[in-house]
Formats: sequence, C-alpha cells, structure tokens
Amino acid sequence: MRCNKAREYLSLEMDGRTPPDVAGLLETHLDSCADCQAYRTDLLLGRRLLAATEPELPENFDWKLQLRLNQTLKETAGEAAFPWEEARTDRWAWLRNFGAAAAVGMAAVLTVAIFLGPTGAPPASRPLSENRALAETISDRLPLETNLRWSGMGRSGLQRQVSGIAQQPVDRRLRLEGGWSGSDRADLVTITRLRGENRALTGALVQAQRQIRQMQAQLDTSGPKALDLED
Amino acid sequence: MNLSRDEHQRARQLAADLKEIRDEDLIVQVQNGQRRAYDEIVTRYKGRLFSFILRMVKEPDLAEELTQETLIRVYVHAAKYREIAKFSTWVFTIATNLVRNKMRQRSRRPRLISLNPAPDEGEMPVDPPDMVADTSNEVEREELGRLIREATAQIPEKYRIPFLLREVDQLSYEEIQQVTGLKLGTVRSRINRARGRFRQLIKPMLRNESLLEELEQIEARALAEKDNQRGED
Repeated sequence: MRCNKAREYLSLEMDGRTPPDVAGLLETHLDSCADCQAYRTDLLLGRRLLAATEPELPENFDWKLQLRLNQTLKETAGEAAFPWEEARTDRWAWLRNFGAAAAVGMAAVLTVAIFLGPTGAPPASRPLSENRALAETISDRLPLETNLRWSGMGRSGLQRQVSGIAQQPVDRRLRLEGGWSGSDRADLVTITRLRGENRALTGALVQAQRQIRQMQAQLDTSGPKALDLED
Repeated sequence: MNLSRDEHQRARQLAADLKEIRDEDLIVQVQNGQRRAYDEIVTRYKGRLFSFILRMVKEPDLAEELTQETLIRVYVHAAKYREIAKFSTWVFTIATNLVRNKMRQRSRRPRLISLNPAPDEGEMPVDPPDMVADTSNEVEREELGRLIREATAQIPEKYRIPFLLREVDQLSYEEIQQVTGLKLGTVRSRINRARGRFRQLIKPMLRNESLLEELEQIEARALAEKDNQRGED
C-alpha cells in the first residue's frame, strides 16, 4: 500500500469507516511506515485541539437573539397587516427591473414584424417619400414612450429605426418591404396584435422572475437538496 | 411576576421533559406554536452553530450575527421542515447557506491592498504560542483557540465546510452530503484533503511540548466541568 492511499484510509479510520478488507493492509503498512504513523498521531491531535478550543458564546447571546426574533416577528406581522405596502413596492420594482426587458422585447417584436410580417405577393414598390411618411405615421400612432424610455430609446429612436428602412438601397428595400402588407391599417393591426403578445410574454417573464425569487428564498432555508419541495 | 413554588416546579419538570425529546419532535412542537420547544432547540444548537460559523468567518461579531440569523430562520421557517432529513441537517444547511452568501458578498467587496505582501497561503503555518508567558488558563485557552481558528481559516472554503461539519459538528458523511449537495465520494476526499492541510498548518504546534501539556490540562478541566454539570442535573 502506498502512503497516499494509506492516508486516505487513515482519514476514513478516524470516522470509523475503514473498509473491512483494508484494515489489515493498513495496519501492515503502518507497522513499516513511521511517517504514516506520525500522520495518524497528528490527525488525532488535530481533532483534540479542535475539540479543546470550542469557542464560547457571548454572555448576552440569548437576550440578543430574543430581541432580534421579536423584531423579526413584529416586521412579519406588520407586512401581513399592510399587504398593500408590499404590493406597491412590487409594482415599482417591476417597472424598474423589467422596463428595459419589455422595451427590448418590443424592439424584437417590431423587428419580427418588419422582417417576417404577413407574406403574399410583394406589394408594388412605393416612392421613397411615401415610405418615410408611412414610417412617421406608424411611429406617431404607437404610444411607446413609457416602455422605450426605460431602455434609453425614445420615440425619435424608433422613428429613425423605421424610417431607416426607407433609406436602404433599392434592392435591400424591396426585400424589407416584403414584410409589410402595403396597407397602413393592416400593418397597425399586426403591430397591435404583436404588442399584445409581447405584453403577455412580459407578464410571464415577471411571473417567472417572482418564482425564481421565491425559490431563491426557499433555497436559502432548505439548501441544495430542497427539503421542502412538497410546497 | 412572581411564580409560586408549584409553578417553578412544573416549569423545571417541563424543561427536563423537553431535554428527553428528539430534535425532530421538538420542531413539530415549534410548528404547533410551542415556544419552549424552540428554546430547547436554541439551547442544543447555539454552541455548535457558533463554533462552526466562527471557524468559517473568523470574526466573532459576524459569527454571532449569523448564528442568530440561523436560529431565527429555524423559527420563522419551522413550517417548512419535513422529516425527510434529520433536523440537524436542515439547521446546518441554513447555516452553511448563510455563511456562503456572506463570504460571497465579502469577496465581491473591494479590499484594501497591503503594501507588505503576505506570504503565500500554502506557506503559512501557525506559530505556536508562548505558553510560559501566559499565566491565566483562560487566556491560554483563548490564545490557543485563536491560533486554531487562524489555521482553520486557511483551509480553502470548499474543503473547510465538510471538514468542520465533520470534526466540529460531528455530522455523518451522509448528512454532510445532504447539507452541501456534494457526492459522497467528494465529501470523503474533501475531508481527507482538509485534514492533511490542517495538519500541515498546525504542525509546529504539534511538536510543542508545553502546548501539548496545556491541551491535556484543558481536556481535564472540560471533563471535570462535565462531571460537575452531570452531578447538578
């Protein structure tokens, strides 16, 4: 038996877990190896030192614990008595935390609407000025300021993005224009529908985030084995 | 409020009865709103928790705070405990998570850099104390405790947690597996590595005759105290 292996078994021996078939081999090794004998003595001494130097609790520990526990229980009771306080806080937290996410989602949806909108026969190409006017109309009709502000992208940013399509070279423009129906009304309906879907997705995202927070709190009290998964 | 003699007697009897109850049954009583059962849990666990946490975080004030936080969580989340694991496993899981979070927070905080670089972690065995200079037993014990804590703190965190749960809190390998979420083989090897590292760090102390004498005296005093307590009970 090599020393490394013997030391692994010595550690197990300290916890009364030496495999029965190894005990004899270990003793034989120890009889002939002074280093491993010293190692065993040191491990046992280390254990004794740890036990002998158990730190003592501060004298007023119980009193402080009592005080903190009462404080915690009072706070918990307060939260239960004024649930709306928490709800209000949550609402603003939602805006702060997910405003940016919603804006990004919205931009993604608009991009999808532009590139993968209703297909069919490609509409006849419109003059450049008409496209720019269309872009401005769409931008004006969308009440996006609230959400876009969170990502630092204002209405003018959207305008630039949409009217940018009109600035594309002719061959690229033709391809992009394939994403639009050619009718302002139909496009607005599509965009409104996609906005609705986006809102639903954002709602789901918020819910998922809430669940993650709850699971995190649960993990803090239950550990990686999630002892209370039955909840 | 003055309690009558009978009431004192009854309270003492109740406390004595609680001492006989298993942890898992005590927490059920806590779930049913019995505060005395919680007090008994605090009595059983506060020392073990403080000892484990102090050896993890090194600072007594922080260790006290985290010990209290652990015990408060036990009370507040008592309803979440299910007897699919030992109660001690649940308590040490809470403590370990709190310690880990605190250490993670600390490591994120920017630290002041010393102009005198410390020697490499691996090359820093703890100097033995000068036992002749100290006259009081308590001072000696405290000094020894501080040195052992310093040595323990130098064991890397991932080895230190299973090591302390085993050596200080006497949790079984299976319980440590539940607390840490590690595989059984990993628990075994980490404890083994930590023991080797700890031995390296305290080696100068182990060759110090006066310190070993002191250790024997401390053990003898502890034994005598235990006997006294048993006599009083």
